Amino acid sequence: MEFLGLVNYALFMAIFIGIYALLALGLNIQWGFAGLFNAGIAGFFAVGAYTSAIISTPPADGRFGGFDLHFVLGWIGAMLAAALVAWPIGKICLRFRSDYLAIASIGIAEIIRLVIKSEPVLTNGARGISNIPRPAGDIGYMESQVAYLIIVLAVLIAAYVLVERQFNAPWGRMMRAIRDNEDAAKAMGKDVEFRRLEAFIFGAALMGLGGALFAHFNRAITPEAIDPMVATFLVWIMLILGGSGNNRGAILGAAVVWIIWSVSEIATDRLPHEYAVQAKYIRLFLIGLMLQLVLRFRPEGLLPEPLRGDQRTAKTGADQN
Amino acid sequence: MKTKFFALAAGLMTATALATAPAKADVKIGLLGGISGPIAAMAPAMIDAAQLAVQQVNEQGGIGANEKLVGVVGDSACNPQNGTDAATKAVNIEGVVGTVGPHCSGAVLAAAGSVTIPAGITLITPSGTSPEISNLEDKGTVFRTVPSDDYQGRALARTMKEQGYGKVAVAYLNNDYGTGLAGAFKAEYVDELGGEITQFAAHEEGKASYRSNLAELAKGGADTLVIFDYGDGTGLTILRQALENGFFEKFVGGDGMKSDAVINELGAENLASFVASSPVGEKSESLDMFNEAFKGVGGDPDAIFVSNSYDAAFLLALAVEKAGGKKEGVAAAMVEVSNGEGESILPGEWKKAKELIAAGTAIDYKGAAGDHNFDEKGDVPGTYALWEVGSDGYEVVTEMK
Repeated sequence: MEFLGLVNYALFMAIFIGIYALLALGLNIQWGFAGLFNAGIAGFFAVGAYTSAIISTPPADGRFGGFDLHFVLGWIGAMLAAALVAWPIGKICLRFRSDYLAIASIGIAEIIRLVIKSEPVLTNGARGISNIPRPAGDIGYMESQVAYLIIVLAVLIAAYVLVERQFNAPWGRMMRAIRDNEDAAKAMGKDVEFRRLEAFIFGAALMGLGGALFAHFNRAITPEAIDPMVATFLVWIMLILGGSGNNRGAILGAAVVWIIWSVSEIATDRLPHEYAVQAKYIRLFLIGLMLQLVLRFRPEGLLPEPLRGDQRTAKTGADQN
Repeated sequence: MKTKFFALAAGLMTATALATAPAKADVKIGLLGGISGPIAAMAPAMIDAAQLAVQQVNEQGGIGANEKLVGVVGDSACNPQNGTDAATKAVNIEGVVGTVGPHCSGAVLAAAGSVTIPAGITLITPSGTSPEISNLEDKGTVFRTVPSDDYQGRALARTMKEQGYGKVAVAYLNNDYGTGLAGAFKAEYVDELGGEITQFAAHEEGKASYRSNLAELAKGGADTLVIFDYGDGTGLTILRQALENGFFEKFVGGDGMKSDAVINELGAENLASFVASSPVGEKSESLDMFNEAFKGVGGDPDAIFVSNSYDAAFLLALAVEKAGGKKEGVAAAMVEVSNGEGESILPGEWKKAKELIAAGTAIDYKGAAGDHNFDEKGDVPGTYALWEVGSDGYEVVTEMK
């Protein structure tokens, strides 16, 4: 019993890590590759979650859709919708330099949240959408968690392989060139604006997919999930800690941060009973402290971005030229 | 550095694994609340009220064969991410037989959908009022001790129609509370009763002026403004500005508006045309007993949702006792200990309840926040009344049906 409980908890954490790793990978494309400071992850997360919910729930009164389609279509729809929303935003906002882009993207995430909260016809407003089908959700508790973890891992591995390929491909080198020296890249004839927009949209699509996986796992999505603390800043901490510019770092960061975030609550529960309520704030403090320490002692993250020289010697043949 | 982090994580895990081996067979229930996050100001009192129930159980003979009832506090932070995380830990690491909470509707939906329903654990929320919770496919394991917003909104519409209100405008706070109430009110008032709503508008909280919102609401010639908001927050501002500028003649509020702040700030003499709906049972014997006990442990019985939290924890304890400490039977037992039939149990009467359960007698818990006779969806009907402002605070105008 005790052991099964631990396994169940580990499975749950692994699923959450997988979902957060997708968000961190999406952010890595935007920040790690292209240097775009997107502080509106929650917005794309929400677009994906709601799109997939609308596509895959049974028809419902009083709101748009409920198309009762297969969840895979929902997830594809989530990526497309997040990409579509990202396109005009990127078109307008990517002309800003990094810190101004951060301000604009926070604002945009907030606009998306308020639209979702205020348009009951589209999203059922503040009540959210519930009874979203969960793939393999009708079997036992542990079995359904295992099944969902396999699905999440499959999606994550596919995303990782594709993003890693892009990173090592000429496209990845070009993005880093644009990030590090925009003028030089322009002089080489690269269409900087278009390429940055590309990175922004790819990243947003992955974030949308993360949102869709999250909504189906919980079988419900409500505006409360679009809290910037857990949907934007936690992802940033994961990427910075894991190592921006390194895809494995993004995934590792997601794992480390979520494990500390979640497991520290169990540790603080061992404090005397009277402090049960106060102790909950310790983990907020821990996350902040961790970010401070990493930024102070290891600003490049746990797994730093591979330098180009390393890349050349490690990789031979295939994707060069 | 990497190894250090892994070492830390592994260390925490090990500490947990060691610490979770219980010395004695305690029976645990989860107390999941929005400790950090948007309702951080409300949650501690709610958790304390639930802990009071746990304390009373232990003082009066414990659960089962002298076992101790333990309330495990978890932080659901009012969002689904932390809500599911806290519920997973409570269910799998602590091995709880049921949970009180999470507090916020979004966290309840997610925790129920991904954790407690699949795991077969009973969940009872003291403050999740979203109508969506009624519609969960929960195999009868999700309960609440607070009526759905749907219920109050519809009852208020019926009562207003009876009282002869005509054209009304509706202003509601844009969150699940305001939206839920306003939607239910509209459905009943317009679609069922044929009343007329001239304007129906949401507003965001915390603005300094709502005069432009009010001017917009006043278009269409309604003489009554229905406000679904909080009387110690934005609702007060709206009411004050509507009175100052004479936009409307009559005002109606939901239970959030029945706040003493309204009378203190605006003065009873200005509120002759203001009525608000609110749960009754406010003067019941049960509530007095709870208030007395909660003051005894240093709590404030007027804090919001504390009586609901206490009832939820006490009901869960009764159900666990009845089910013999097995998590499988808790949901069914929950309905049995509070279905309106059997010997009445009031808050704090654990010893009496324990003896009756042992003797096999049917019991019926009459809680501080209402009688809590669950329907098939695990919801409780509210007992509401319409209140007006008298010389001595709020007075009942009529019962709401």
